[in-house]
Amino acid sequence: MQSESGLNKPLLVLRDVSIGYDSSLSLVNIPNLEVFPGEIVVIAGPSGIGKSTLLRTIAGLVSPISGVLEVCGCILPESPPRGNLGYIPQKLGLVRHASVRHNVELGARAGVKSRKERQVRSKEAIEIMGLSEKSTEPIRRLSGGQQRRVATARTLAQRPKLILADEFLSELDEETLASVLDAVTNYVRESNAALIVVEHDISRAKMMADKLLVIDDGRVNPFIKGTKAMEVNV
Amino acid sequence: MRTAIDGKILATSFSFMLMLAFLVLNGMVNDWGRLTGGVTNLIDFFHQSLWPPDWSVLEPQVYPVCTARAPFEFTCSTAWIGVIETIKIAFVSTVFGMALSLPLSLSAARNLSPKWLSYSSRFILSAFRSLPSLIWAIFFVILIGLGPLSGTLAMTVYTVGYLGKLQYEAIEGLTKTPLEAADAMGLTKIETALNVVIPESANDLISHAIFMFEYNFRSGTIIGIVGAGGIGYYIDLYLRFLQYDKVVAYLLIIFMVVLIIDFFSIYARSFFNEEDDLRRPSWSEVFLGIVRSADATDDFSDGL
Ligand SMILES: Nc1ncnc2c1ncn2[C@@H]1O[C@H](COP(=O)(O)OP(=O)(O)O)[C@@H](O)[C@H]1O
Ligand SMILES: [Mg+2]
Repeated sequence: MQSESGLNKPLLVLRDVSIGYDSSLSLVNIPNLEVFPGEIVVIAGPSGIGKSTLLRTIAGLVSPISGVLEVCGCILPESPPRGNLGYIPQKLGLVRHASVRHNVELGARAGVKSRKERQVRSKEAIEIMGLSEKSTEPIRRLSGGQQRRVATARTLAQRPKLILADEFLSELDEETLASVLDAVTNYVRESNAALIVVEHDISRAKMMADKLLVIDDGRVNPFIKGTKAMEVNV
Repeated sequence: MRTAIDGKILATSFSFMLMLAFLVLNGMVNDWGRLTGGVTNLIDFFHQSLWPPDWSVLEPQVYPVCTARAPFEFTCSTAWIGVIETIKIAFVSTVFGMALSLPLSLSAARNLSPKWLSYSSRFILSAFRSLPSLIWAIFFVILIGLGPLSGTLAMTVYTVGYLGKLQYEAIEGLTKTPLEAADAMGLTKIETALNVVIPESANDLISHAIFMFEYNFRSGTIIGIVGAGGIGYYIDLYLRFLQYDKVVAYLLIIFMVVLIIDFFSIYARSFFNEEDDLRRPSWSEVFLGIVRSADATDDFSDGL
């Protein structure tokens, strides 16, 4: 399943990357990280340490203080090819006055040109996320967990190569959580995409990770490949 | 807000401003006694020339011959014709103004556009706004002659400037995560503008447009004075003939129409308030001006 043979090109490469909002105050330093197709990498660490900032940097929304980032074959600040990068922000970034369908189609729009195909993909993603009955509701009338699923559906409809998901399992009850996680991991495995998840819940992090990155005091602990939960020093 | 609001500092600074305003006013007025003279003048003038209003302005004009039947003869009156023309001018210039201001305000919003574009759009908008519509009306009357077309153009120009500013401020007030999500996905600026920005600010955009119509009706009454169409033409006419009782009748009619449009405007805009879609104000609430506005409750804590 895992493709770390070197035949596959990595979807994300970080070399000596230092991130933060202020060049004199670096939040996280990452000496070296490669993420390959089919992999799930979880970033864990205490709140406020810079996990979201790291994802925002990879998404090209914040410039790194130093270092080189290569995302889907493009070296930042050049942005990756349209639709290659999927992003589920911690604050979701949904169009609150528009419908569920409108939001999910936005993802599909980034992923594919044909209008027909967009609708097919959106419908499917909405169904997978269990939101079919809500598809014409405006976002602001949905619960927190439902909104999070809309953001996930938006990314699934986009079908990106690399997904950045910031706490996308928060606010979900256990049953829903399992099905959302299943849907996303299935997509990653089947399409040979890669997933980078920020997850503050360490047991959940261990459950899904191929690689676990623990950010602590602004340094990244050596990551453990093919993680079994036990091997991680928290 | 960059910092939290402190009530005490707010109150102190405002008291200071109030005192300063009194001092400045005092510096401009050299004889406060004139104020009492003004009141007596007003009372005399009111009794001799203004009251009672001459409601003949609601009767059909002598020429052209009125073709409206029984209870509708008032539609041939100067008051009716003038008010309707003013409403038409306000409507057309609001719609055209909106069509032009929207692309400009999208370009002017700093969260969407690069600096050079945002600054040049802002420059155009503030140039349009810098002159009141009355001055634009004079300009267009000179340029293309008397009539409602001049008035419409003048108000369109002003609408672009004014509405555009309201719009870009609403757009800049949007939370940034939806824009970032669109950006990360690789959507173009135009796709983001059409599919994220416009739906997300639609409530504000519609509410501003309705407000602008109301505003344009009010300011549209004045541009007739320079011959740019609307009811202002008749006011100017009777002012020249010193028929102040007729002028008063027109002013009262304008006042009534403005009130009616105001009420409709407040009521219509209440449909486009954040989160308020479950509860509409009753007419009595609209009348008393106690319509709850929930536009400031969105999250300020963006980006943390
Ligand atoms: N837009 C911003 N500008 C400046 N500082 C920020 C911004 N967003 C977050 N921060 C700060 O950066 C630090 C890391 O935040 P974040 O990456 O959101 O942490 P985490 O996701 O790990 O909880 C925090 O101290 C936070 O206050
Ligand atoms: Mg975070």
